[in-house]
Amino acid sequence: MALLTGKRVLSAAVMTIAFASPISAQSLTQDEALTLAFQDAQLERRTAFLDDEQVARASTLAGPDVEVESTVVSYYVATRGGEPVGVAYFDVHRVRTLPQVVMLVVGTDNRVGRVETVSFREPPEYRAPDGWLEQFHGRELDGELSLKGAIANITGATLTSGAVTRATRRVLALHAVIDPFGAEVHDAEAHDADAHDADAGDLTANRR
Amino acid sequence: MMRLVLSCRVTIALTALLISLAPVHELHAQDADSVRLAELERRIEAVTRELERMQLGRDVVEADSSIQGLGPAASKVYRVNQGVSLGGYGEFLYENFAANREDGSGSGARNQADALRVVLYVGYKFNDRLLFNSEIEIEHAKESFLEFAYLDYRLTDQVGIRGGLLLAPLGLVNELHEPPIFLGTERPLTENRIIPTTWRENGIGLFGSGDAFSWRLYVMNSFNGTKFTAGGLRGGRQKGAKALAEDMGVAARFDYTGTPGLILGVSGYTGETAQGQELANQPVGGRVSIWDVHLDYKKRGWDVRGVVAGAQVSDVTAMNSLIGLEGASGIGSNMLGWYLQAGYDLLRTSASTHQLIPYLRFEKVNTQRGVAAGFSASPANDLTVTSIGAAWRPVTQVIAKLGYQIHSTAANTGVNQLNASLGWLF
Repeated sequence: MALLTGKRVLSAAVMTIAFASPISAQSLTQDEALTLAFQDAQLERRTAFLDDEQVARASTLAGPDVEVESTVVSYYVATRGGEPVGVAYFDVHRVRTLPQVVMLVVGTDNRVGRVETVSFREPPEYRAPDGWLEQFHGRELDGELSLKGAIANITGATLTSGAVTRATRRVLALHAVIDPFGAEVHDAEAHDADAHDADAGDLTANRR
Repeated sequence: MMRLVLSCRVTIALTALLISLAPVHELHAQDADSVRLAELERRIEAVTRELERMQLGRDVVEADSSIQGLGPAASKVYRVNQGVSLGGYGEFLYENFAANREDGSGSGARNQADALRVVLYVGYKFNDRLLFNSEIEIEHAKESFLEFAYLDYRLTDQVGIRGGLLLAPLGLVNELHEPPIFLGTERPLTENRIIPTTWRENGIGLFGSGDAFSWRLYVMNSFNGTKFTAGGLRGGRQKGAKALAEDMGVAARFDYTGTPGLILGVSGYTGETAQGQELANQPVGGRVSIWDVHLDYKKRGWDVRGVVAGAQVSDVTAMNSLIGLEGASGIGSNMLGWYLQAGYDLLRTSASTHQLIPYLRFEKVNTQRGVAAGFSASPANDLTVTSIGAAWRPVTQVIAKLGYQIHSTAANTGVNQLNASLGWLF
């Protein structure tokens, strides 16, 4: 009888684990990812419309092996008490056959604040572990932001390593061209120097 | 005169009327522009949101609502894009053997060019919890194999259950054997004779990972020990084909992965291998136990790895009798192999995507480190191999390697060879 009870408890536990446990890390929604990054901050969705010259400049900044093609870039500026605290970009790219969506948060110092896998459709063993993604924190767009530099490859998930690294370079390059903090955090001199880029920025801006 | 006065009054009145009406008309025009501008902005916003939704996917942008009575999170599975995932890898190998063995006698080895393997990965994701993955291989341009094929069911974020034709989770190469991943034109002998890469058997097990570690625990059909040789365990693989399953084995692995670029781990396997064979009406066990400690470090241009692996076989005398092996041809009761390999990317600081990595590997393998009483060890199975070469990666997924291997055995029968290979993965 006791054995039967034990079996019931065990099977109930297995059923609970199998059918009730969330597998949240497998895919986040955009809202969940933004909440994870900014908690209670105010979010403003903006869209930048880039001209050919700006796309070409972003492409040059990103590097020779990074594709920059989109002329329409939506991003989310987070503010607290009216002060910007960061901006989130969502980058979608192919890993092997299927796409991956990552959220990249750039801080007001124009360095990577956070990289989060939002959606990953390849087999999970190819997914970048959170610990590996932490390598990107604090990185800026320089030669070290590369698998030949400070970013270590994931053995057995080379395609994912390359895809995330290229996405980070692409987003930082677009961020430099869009300059979403231009008017908010730059001093006047720096802002004047970047005025051309800032002009490219926002045609639409909406509170979420 | 009266008409003139009237005309003047009409003119003044009309002028006054026009003057008074003009701002109203302008105001109305401005209002209309504002409405049009607001409508234009609304439309642009709608278009950019639609564009974002198309780029990121419906499951990412719109998953925060419920479906079929489930909560928003539970509803996600209904929105996850299903799909086929394709990938692959392959390698070609050219081997040029020395004319003489290390003792000066003729080697008799003939040079060879081989379409070693071309592989297609096919996977299908049913939903966030359930997926199928497989590797279908053509070796030597004519032999086809199923290298692995399994179903994964994720119980939680950290733990899943896996069943099918599984890769034994031992060593560094058995699970991760795409040519661009490892240096050297050929896989290390330690991971050929003691961990018999590519070693796959039918089974079921658990897998999992945390922030700084990953692990696997499988139950698999064991080796067919009647196919072992003095040269190691390789012949005992059943490869999932109508595999004898009288004896099952347990394989386990634990890796520390908390430092990016570093894998440091241990793995092991144990299982009897006689598969129900008897000798003089007595059951034979033939238990094989394999262990390994491995390290892989890739960062800042360095590519360093090392493996130590050993195997013990019990009931060797009975197993040799079952197979009909005698003298120095008997199965080793104790095997040991290890290698250490290092390479460095000379183009690390260049802006190019290319990598040029000279490497050195030193390896010792002895598949008859211990033999049963009444048997002898062949010194030809006590090998030392030094490999020196260079690998060129134009991109991380493609590699060309050139290497020279210096083979030495305790019997002075080693034959050196020059190898060239091409490899890719996608």
